[in-house]
This record gives sequence, C-alpha cells and structure tokens, in this order.
Amino acid sequence: MATTACFIIVSRNDIPIYEAEVGSAIKKEEAAHQHQFILHAALDIVQDLAWTTSAMFLKAMDRFNDLVVSVYVTAGHTRLMLLHDSRNEDGIKSFFQEVHELYIKILLNPLYLPGSRITSSHFDTKVRALARKYL
Amino acid sequence: MEPDVSIETGCEIRVAVLPIGGAIPPPRLRLYLSMLSCHRRVDLSSVSSFYSEHQKSPFTHQPWDSGSLRFKFVVGGAPPSPWEDFQSCRKILAVVGLCHCPSSPDLSLVADQFSAACKPYTSALVERCFAFCPSDSQLDEGKRVSNVILFPPSDRQTQEFHMLTMVQDLAASLLMEFEKWVLRAESAGTILKTPLDSQSSLSSEEVIKAKKRRLGRAQKTIGDYCLLAGSPADANAHYNTAIELARLTGDVFWHAGALEGSVCALLVDRAGQQDATLEEEVKYRYYTVIQLYRRSYLQDNAQRVSTVSFELEAALKLARYLCRQELAKEVVELLMGAADGAKSLIDASDRLILYVEIARIYGSLGYQRKAAFFSRQVAQLYLQQDNSFAAISALQVLSLTSKAYHVQSRGASQKQIGSHHSLGPSQADGGKMHQQSIVSLFESQWSTLQMVVLREILMSSVRAGDPLAAWSAAARLLRSYYPLITPAGQSGLASSLVNSAERLPVGTRCADAALPFIRLHSFPIHPSQMDLVKRNPAKEEWWVGSAPSGPFIYTPFGKGGSNESNKQDLTWIVGEPVQVLVELANPCGFELVVESIYLSVHSGNFDAFPVSVNLPPNSAKVILLSGIPTKVGPVSIPGCIVHCFGVITEHLFKDVDNLLLGAAQGLVLSDPFRSCGSGKLKIVSVPNISVVPPLPLLVSHVVGGDGAAILYEGEIRDITISFSNAGTVPVEQAHISLSGKNQDSVISIARESLRSALPLKPGAEVTVPITIKAWQLSMADSDHATNKNSSGVSRISKEGSNPLLVIHYAGPLTSDEFPENGDTVSPGRRLVVPLHVCVLQGLRFVKARLLSMEIPAHINDSLSKKVTSPNAMNSLLKIDPYSGSWVFRLLEIELSNPTDVVFEVNVSVKTDSTNNGNGVTSIQHYAADIGYPKTRIDCDFSARVLIPLEHFKLPVLDGSFLAKDCQPNDFLGGKISNAAERNSKAELNASINNLIKKIKVRWQSGRNSSGELNIKDAIQAALQASMMDILLPEPLTFVFNLAKNGTANEAINGTKQLAEQTNELANSVDQCASGSAVRFKGSISAHEMTPMEVLIRNNTKEPIQMSLSVTCRDVAGENCTEGSKATVLWAGVLTGIQLEVLPLEEVSHSFSLYFLVPGEYTLMGTAIINGATDMLRARARTDSSDETIFCRGSPFHINVAGAV
Repeated sequence: MATTACFIIVSRNDIPIYEAEVGSAIKKEEAAHQHQFILHAALDIVQDLAWTTSAMFLKAMDRFNDLVVSVYVTAGHTRLMLLHDSRNEDGIKSFFQEVHELYIKILLNPLYLPGSRITSSHFDTKVRALARKYL
Repeated sequence: MEPDVSIETGCEIRVAVLPIGGAIPPPRLRLYLSMLSCHRRVDLSSVSSFYSEHQKSPFTHQPWDSGSLRFKFVVGGAPPSPWEDFQSCRKILAVVGLCHCPSSPDLSLVADQFSAACKPYTSALVERCFAFCPSDSQLDEGKRVSNVILFPPSDRQTQEFHMLTMVQDLAASLLMEFEKWVLRAESAGTILKTPLDSQSSLSSEEVIKAKKRRLGRAQKTIGDYCLLAGSPADANAHYNTAIELARLTGDVFWHAGALEGSVCALLVDRAGQQDATLEEEVKYRYYTVIQLYRRSYLQDNAQRVSTVSFELEAALKLARYLCRQELAKEVVELLMGAADGAKSLIDASDRLILYVEIARIYGSLGYQRKAAFFSRQVAQLYLQQDNSFAAISALQVLSLTSKAYHVQSRGASQKQIGSHHSLGPSQADGGKMHQQSIVSLFESQWSTLQMVVLREILMSSVRAGDPLAAWSAAARLLRSYYPLITPAGQSGLASSLVNSAERLPVGTRCADAALPFIRLHSFPIHPSQMDLVKRNPAKEEWWVGSAPSGPFIYTPFGKGGSNESNKQDLTWIVGEPVQVLVELANPCGFELVVESIYLSVHSGNFDAFPVSVNLPPNSAKVILLSGIPTKVGPVSIPGCIVHCFGVITEHLFKDVDNLLLGAAQGLVLSDPFRSCGSGKLKIVSVPNISVVPPLPLLVSHVVGGDGAAILYEGEIRDITISFSNAGTVPVEQAHISLSGKNQDSVISIARESLRSALPLKPGAEVTVPITIKAWQLSMADSDHATNKNSSGVSRISKEGSNPLLVIHYAGPLTSDEFPENGDTVSPGRRLVVPLHVCVLQGLRFVKARLLSMEIPAHINDSLSKKVTSPNAMNSLLKIDPYSGSWVFRLLEIELSNPTDVVFEVNVSVKTDSTNNGNGVTSIQHYAADIGYPKTRIDCDFSARVLIPLEHFKLPVLDGSFLAKDCQPNDFLGGKISNAAERNSKAELNASINNLIKKIKVRWQSGRNSSGELNIKDAIQAALQASMMDILLPEPLTFVFNLAKNGTANEAINGTKQLAEQTNELANSVDQCASGSAVRFKGSISAHEMTPMEVLIRNNTKEPIQMSLSVTCRDVAGENCTEGSKATVLWAGVLTGIQLEVLPLEEVSHSFSLYFLVPGEYTLMGTAIINGATDMLRARARTDSSDETIFCRGSPFHINVAGAV
C-alpha cells in the first residue's frame, strides 16, 4: 500500500463530493490540505487533457514534488482524482474502475442528488477497502 | 535566480534608477519614474544624432534604421551578481539618479550624493542625475554643478520631451561605451570567471584548460555586448564562434550560455515574426540549452554554487516563449519540471522567485488554479520569513489567489456583484432561480481549501498589521465554514474579530458580512386598520373592484401577465412607520451580540430604526425592523446593515437566499437556519415597494374599552365606536359597510353621525353608536361551551365569528403637497373594525310543543253588552269569529338556564296591524301587549313559558290559503295560474312567518343585560303540523246566546273575558288544565223556559248551504233532548234545519230549552254542509268528493241553577 494517497471525487461543477486520505502514512492535517491543494490545481490540466484523449484514465498527468496525480474522468465529467507516490499504474487503474462502479451505484440511488456530497458510509468503507487492495 | 526572465532578457541594458537627495514625495517619484520608464525601447535611428563615431565600430552589421536599444530600469538598484561576467545583461551598465529639487535645495550636495551612490556600481558605464522642479536659484546654481541635469519647470509634455532627449543621449553614450569595451576585449582579452570556476587551487591542468576556454568565453561576452548594442547579426556571429570554441574545450556551461545568447539574437533579428520553423528552432536550441545546463551541474561544488537556477531560468524562458493555449501541454511539462527543480535550489528566495514565475506563466496560460496553487506556495515561503514586510507580501499574494479559490472579499469583487445585480431581477421574477444558476454560484467550492486559504489570509494579515483584512478574513471564515469549525475555533475567530475591531476606528465598514445570517421573513401587510385601497375616482363607490376580492386564486378576467402576479406590490406611506420581519440565525457556539441592526435602503427615502439583538448560541430569532419612509418614490431593501463585532457590514438577503438554495441542493455544508432549529421557509423575495404621499389614517376604539363585549345569546347592546383621524390629511369620504360572519347581528349603525362629521380634520374625532344583538351559538359552539363550562371557562370568542365593520375612507383626490404626484389619484384606505363580541350561551331552548284544549264557553246572560271594537275596521265583521271558538292552542316553550346568572323571561306578542297579501286587514287585538308577568329562571333550572296562539286567526277562511291542496280552483274562476298559486303559497308562508315574528320572548338578566331569544325555528317546528288549524278559522262558527224576550240578537261577547281568561290561563298553566276554575255566574234556572238562539257565522267567501242540528248533553255526555229519559224539553227545531249563510254573514236560529234538572249542560251546534266546495273539503282534510262535510261548533256550557 502506498504511503501517501489522497483520493477525491470532483463533481462536474468542480465541487469535491468525496474526500479520503487513503495512504498508510500517519495522517497530518496540513499534509492533507496540501494534497487537496495539489489536486485542486491539477483540475486545470485535467480540463484540457480530458478532451485530447478518449481514455478515461489519465495516468500521472500532474505532479508536485514527488506526488503524482492520476485522474479518471467519467462520461459525466465527474473526476476521480488520486494523489499518490507509488507507481503502481495497473493497481491505480483497477482502483479507479472499481470506484467508478461504486460511484455509478451511488448515482442510481434515487435519493442521491447528482452533484451533491456523497455521504454514504458504505461507499466510504468500500473505497477504503479498494485502496488497501490496489494501492 | 532573477525574476521576470524571458528569452529577450539577454538584450536588455540594465539601468539602476536611484532617488538622490532629500526624500521625494511618492507621487512625484512615481511621476518621474513613469516618465523614465516609458522609454524602455530607444530606436537606433533616434540615437544616431547623439552618436559620434570615434573609431571604427565593431558592430559592423548594426541596423541603424530598424534596430533599437532596450533598457531595463531597476528602481533602487541591485547588488552585483556573481554571474555578471557570464551574462553581461546582469550587469548594471548605467546609473540614473532622480532628484526632486524642492526637497534637496543644495545641488552640489546632490552631486556628491549621486557620485557616492554610483560607487557600488562598478560595472556602470554611464551615470546621469536628473533633477526636477528646480527653483530659479537652483537653475542658476545648476550651471555650475556639472553632473546634475536640471529639468526646467514646465508642463508635463515638455518634460517628457526633455526626458526623451536625455534617454536618447544616455543610449548614445552607452552605445559608444559598448564599442569601446568590445574593442578593448577583442584586443586585450579579459579574464571571465564564474563562481563555477574554482578559484582556490588551480591545478596546472585546469590552468591550461582555462586558457583554452578564455577565447570562447570572450567571444560569448562580445556577443552579449553586440546584443545589448542592438546588433543581433554581429552577436550571432560571435556566439557561433563561441559555441564552436566551447564545444571544443568542453566548456559546457559557457556553451549553454552562448547558445542561449544565439537564440536571443535570432529572436531579436526576427522581431515580430512568428512562424513554425522559428518556433521549432527556438525550441530545439533551448532544449539543448537546458540539457547543457543540466550537464554542467557539478556534484562537487553543488554545495557552493549550482547551475540549477540557470537550468530553471532557461526552462522558464522557454515556457514563457511558448506560453499559448495550443502548446499548453508542453508548457505544463516544462513548468512541472521547473517546479521539481525547486528542491535542488539552495536559496529560499530563489525558490520564491521560481514559484512566482511559475505562477505567472500558469496565470497567463489561463490555468488559474495552478497559478493560485503556486502563489500560495509563494505566500507560504513569505510566511516562513518572520517579518511584517514578508507578511504583507504574503497577504497580497494570498489575496490574488482568493479569486481562484472563490474566497475573495466582496469589496474586491464588487464589480462581479454589480453584474449579478443586473442579473438579479430576472431571476427573482421567476420566483425560483434556475437550478443551473444556483449550481454555478457554488461552483468550485472546495471548502477545505477555502478554509485553509482564509486562515492563512487571517494569519498573514494579523502579522502584517492589517486589522481590516484580518476582520474580513475572519468574518468570511466564520460565516462560510462555521460547520467545519469546532466551537472552540468559532470562539477563537470571534475573539480575533473583536481584537481586529479594536484596532479599527469606530464606524469602520467592511464589505464582508460576518454573522448573523439574516433572511427576510415577511413583510407584514398593512394591518387591517390601515389597509390601502386603490381608488377609482369615476365611481361613487370608489373602492369597489380595486381590492383583490373573491375567493378565487385565479380569475380569467384578471388583467396583466402572470409574471407580475407572484411579486406583490407594497405601498408605504410617507411618515407612517413600517415594519419588516427578518429572521436572524446564529449557528455558532457563542453568544452573538448584534449591537445594532437596521434595514439597508439604498434609495435614500427611508429612515431605518436600529435595534440591538442578543442571539444565544445555536439560535434563530425573528425580529421586527422598522422605519419611516421619508420621501415619495420606490424603495429597495437589499438587506440589513449590521453593527456586529465592532464593524459595520451590509448583509444582503440575496446571499442568504442563495445559500439556502445551495443547501437544498446539497451543494453547501449546512443551512444555518435549519441547524438553529428554525423551520424551512419559503424564500421571500423583496416586493416592489413604492412610497406614496401621506394619507389620512382613521384609528378606531370602542368607547369604554376595547375588550370584547361579553353578551349572552340574543342580548342586545349598544356599542359606541369612536374614530379619530391620526393622519395629517383630512378624511373627505367615508363609508361604512359590514362584512364577515354574523352580519345580521348588527342591528343598526348610525351612519349619519360619521357622514355629518366629514371632512374629518387631522386629530378630529367622531363617535358612531352601533346596536348589536348577540347571535345564536351554533351547535358545535355550544358543545364547546358546555365542555368549557365544566372546566370553568365559559367564554367563546372566536375571532372568525365576529362581524366586521369596514370603513372605506379617503383624503382629497390629489395631494397639494406633492404636486409631482398630481396625475395619479391618491389611494383610499380601509379600516376594518372587528366588533369583538364574545357570545356566552344564554337561555337554552329545550323543546317547544303545541298544547291544545277545548274549553267550553259559558252561556251567560249577564253580559249582553255588545262589545265594540275600538277599531273602525270592525265594519268588516258582523260577529267576532272568536267568540264562537273555544279551542285553545298554547305554545309551550321549555327553557333551561345553564348559565350562572338568573334570567327573567317575558313573552310578548307584537300586535301592530299588518296587511296580509289579500288586502284583508287582520283585526287589531284588544290585548295589545299581553301583560304577562316575568318568568324567572334560576341557574341550572328550567322553566316553561306559554304563548297563546289564539289571536292569530285570520278573519276569513280564504281558499287561497289552501291552494296547495285544491287543484281545480273554481272559486277563483279557474284563472289562477301557477304563479298565482305560488304567490298565495308565499303569502301563506309570509303570514306564518308574520305570526312567528309576532311572538317575542325577551329576557333580562341582571341590571343591564337584556335580549331576545331566537326561537323562531323551534316555534316553526312545533307549529308546522297544526299551522292550518291555528291560522285559519273554522268555516262556520256557532255561538249560543240567550235570547232575551225576543230582542235583537246580542251576542254575548266574551272576548274581554276571554282575554282575561287566557291571561289567567297563561299565568297559571298548571291550574288551567280544566276549565272548571272559571265560572260564570249563571242566571239560568231549571224549570223555566229558556229562549235561546244559535248564531252561525260563515267565515268563508262563499254562501254555504247546510243542515244544522243542535244537541244538548248533560255532564255524563248523554244526549238529554232525545230518548225516553230526556231531561231537557225543547221547543222549536233542533235538527235538520236547512239554512243558507251568505259569505261573511251570520244567521240566527231560535229555539227554547226547558231544563228539568239543574246542572251543567253542553250545547253544541253541528252542521252538515251541502254541496261543499273544494276549499271546505280541503279545510276538512278530506280527499273524496262524496264524503259529507261535517262542521262542528265548539261546545257551550250552560249552568242551570236549581229553582229558587
């Protein structure tokens, strides 16, 4: 498992709807903030890059210091963003694909308002399990 | 590293600009600098006039007609760079002093200071000192001081011209110095070193190497000077040589420098051209440069010096050159690489510059978030330095990022707000904003990041000593992110707000609102006491149709589009206080003290009254804000002005509305009102408010207290209401009407007293008496009342059941004081005065029933006087129809008293003569008002009241009353139509109603409450079945008289007695069960021939043929005139007497009786009517036409005394 990893789902309106620190490193609040700042900044690059490729998975499209940003853009332009320090590309790809499935299940919930914050604890548990499995 | 580098940096001549002498006022300094700095580029053609060629110029290919020199003015100068040999453009090649003469009077001193200031700049080739605004004496002095150039005082244009000349002169001097330098360098050769070259121990090998490299380095430097001199072609030639030499000698670092120079030369040469091949070339060469710099990185002296900064600079230069949207990917790659290099930079300020540059390039690429990210890195580096200047810089940089993170202060984004405003009305018109636009309001809201940024802004502004910025940041933080902050943190923010406010002057305003959250709760519409009504001057009843009336939400006839319907218009009146309800919420964990809050009105015609509020933690409060409109015109209320935490802020309702919408969409963290326990409220949009000129204002109060009048059911009371004009305009028109429930309980209104008081001047008062009769409580109410009774509360005052007095009034049509408003009619007003009546249950009606009994009349000879009616109407009657009928019908009403007071009941029969439909006047009763004594009903007791019904008989049995029963109406000539039938039915009903109306049951309780029982329905129900019998007379009445000596028929008219009798009966109901109590003193004795006559009256309008029989019975009921044991002998005819009675006439039949036995006898007349009409049949209630109609008179008693 990666020592540092920050996973965020950003809605099409650029609002983070799910945040999780999934790294094994000891969690520090300031570091978490920094991770979010990096991911937020990476959105600028995603917004251009997403239209240049047909692939959903944009691997290592941004980096800051030794942290790398990988992004998975869904068809609805929801972005699953992962900040990581490991180079396990296949694992990250699988992670994204599985989380995407989970996200679709959330979307199918008629009580979920698309674009609003994901508060399901079940989703959270599953995402963390996936992170342990693949990252 | 150096800031603001680009590929073209290599051709810029660096000029230090230094202020000399006394302090220059900042605006003057700025002016001088702007004059100087507009000459960044000086064309060679303009320089040529100042240029003189002393020897052959080394710049053989100098483009005199198209080339130019570029300056870079370094204000305040710069310390010499260790790398200035490597890149000549890093040298300060000229020094310019700026002097403001008024602040430095001694010019020679200035000259000395200037030369001292120039000392550190050893590389400077040219020095100039410009002195501005000299006085006359200084002008004279200036001629003596050689190195200070005085700018004579003149207008700006002239001064700019002077400056241009001076700069051109400066450029020419520099050019000549460059030529000199290059010539010297070519001939002598100079030693060029960089910090890279280790000075300490030069091994012999290295010395040889250095010698070899020297030539190449010299060529590179000459190239640099050529470039500075504006001759790219020459520069290119030298650079090429230098590249070759450097490659041969393996001088990687200088190779890279020369290559960089060659690119600069290429670009300057092709200035203004943009083509793909050039771009490719530049890219290719620069990537090589970056590679070379990377290779020159020596591990061993990495501690001391590093070439990383050159590598990064080269990357930044290339990135800036390529910085275009289409090449974004490449630029991003370069910048990402540059950012990675930050780790290997030793100097913190280098890192700072690097991040600044990266942020700038990202910004110009349009990547605002990236730019913000690196700006924040810069701010963090600044914050690591512990001084206030660094903190100010950090604050400024963070304020730049605040836009990208959507946390900018409202003051900074005022322009944006303005555009929102223009967007506002159209959105508000729709009532609900389009969902998309709400979403866009909350786009890119990364709450975590926003909080961090705001915290950093707060921290840096505290450090920088900017209390307003600190206040604003803390306010934004607290307002937007309170759900994410712990209560302790919230209190910390509150105290930092207070601390900041302490350092601010009193009355400081801030664009960013802190707490509380304020939303519009409602606009209380005018209280019904001051309702406005649009006036229609064309109509007499000017209020009709103007007020929204009717129960329908939608009327197809309503004019206007639907777009205006949801935004109601509000009218306020100059000088009359208005109120607006707003809801405040404090979702934080500390008590919030709002020092003052009042409505913010931008239109300037409204005086708002401040109030202060204390909001406990996590609470919401609805408060009433009031104010007075001062001028006519529209009023707009965008929000409230709040004085809280020591600073005045404006809270806009729109912001909170948007926030609530966002919360509903799940876009924002929390709804502050819901978290405070306040309910969900429909978003109230501010209506269009207009202020109109003053209007009259009627104020009403009930004389004797405004409390509800407590009345028992049916109680009648006079209420006096006084109206006074509290406005400043007289009331000129007024009209009273009634509305609401139980309108009929208002018996009379003295409209005249109001009308006569018009016009009602301001301050004047008028009183209007009103008579109210308390209404009947409905069943539900009375049930309610009984329930209440048990718990001791017996009052029922349901607001809805009160009648309302509506007064429409208005002032003059147009107001004199506001002539600008002249063409519009000033509105009228409506005053609604609820007549507060609290109805208590009074006497309770239990049941009503009809009692009928037959009391035989006594034949008495003592009374033989013909009683004449006092009324002349009597002429219609030949005999009194009542004298014959002795069937009593009494209406018995049982009443109970559930209240706790005593009631006295008084029954009266109203006896005014009434005309019934047929023109037959009912007789005036003798008993005008039957003087029944009052019946007292104690608490919780019941009592009965008897009402005699005998007085209601109609004098004539008219067929029309029976029209419902007889289909072929032959007695009305068959002409009767259905309409007539209906008419007569209505008449019957009317007469029934008439009858019921006549019966009044009045009650009195205590000294001053009296009223009337409303028991109409009860009576009607009781009488319904036998109404006919009560109302209609028998077709025939029989009266027995004693015929005295054969004199004229004198009816023994016992009417008076009858009346007395009935009175007695009514009074002593219990005793009157039998008629025995009433005794007539008889004068008939046994064993005597008693001549008698029977009078038969025809009460119909037709002649009646009949056969009459008279029977006499004794007490046992045995017929005593017939049979073997007859006790009465008789003379004359007693049976089968054929008679015809004309309509409304009477006939008499005489006979004589001889009583053998004293005692009581009963005489009764019966008649079989021959050829009965349908009417008679109907009266007799028979259906078949062959049945004989039998008419029986009421019995007469005869008391026969024994022989004396």
